[in-house]
Amino acid sequence: MLGAGLLEWVVDIASAALLAAGGIFYLIGAIGLNRMPDVFTRMHAASVSETLGLGLLFLGMMLQAGFTLVLFKLVVILALLWLTAPLATHALSRAALHDGEKPLLTTERGLEPVDPCDVFPGLEHRLATPLVSEQIAIGAAATEAAAEPEQEEAKPSNS
Amino acid sequence: MWVLPILAVLAALALAVVRAALGPTAFDRLLAANAIGTGAIVLLALFGFLTGRPEFLDIGITYALLNIIGILAVLKFFRYGALGHEQDEERDPN
Repeated sequence: MLGAGLLEWVVDIASAALLAAGGIFYLIGAIGLNRMPDVFTRMHAASVSETLGLGLLFLGMMLQAGFTLVLFKLVVILALLWLTAPLATHALSRAALHDGEKPLLTTERGLEPVDPCDVFPGLEHRLATPLVSEQIAIGAAATEAAAEPEQEEAKPSNS
Repeated sequence: MWVLPILAVLAALALAVVRAALGPTAFDRLLAANAIGTGAIVLLALFGFLTGRPEFLDIGITYALLNIIGILAVLKFFRYGALGHEQDEERDPN
């Protein structure tokens, strides 16, 4: 009886500590999202709240849930978010690089936006080359245009 | 026990909204939208525990799936950052 009460108390304390730490890390990530200077560093800051803050909060909730279906659901949500957050960040940074967004780097004149193609020699070729899915899409568009050439030529070029 | 993390997540959501409103580029706004989506899931789970009804977690799973699909769809649309101006000139690699 006493042992069970003590265990419950310890679990409560541990889960409260985890939840508090998770909330603090979540807040730190959100503050970094506002204070960082450019898109890439903001992604870095957002990942703090999406990995550590989220993980600590869900660990705290798991301790409260016990061995029930709720625990399984928490594990599923945590796995989903931990698998998809890096995916989203990767896709976002690649889209930003394709857009010509210049990351801030430290140079002789201090922090300034630098073209990443100057730093990484192979990057210019990779950014200029369309991805495989887009090559397929461009190829399909080309065959469509070849199949109906008269329609393409009939359009007057306004630009 | 639950009030402190809920307040922290709410404050984080408010800061993400600020970033979404200010964000100079479209990617800042997308990043903030992603953060808001994740924050909504965490808030939903925490509120479920606060009210003693963890069944809200099912909605959280749905939100997690919708969030990633939405972000990837928008990114695929904006891959070259063509935001509706001179799209053909920017997209054409030749």
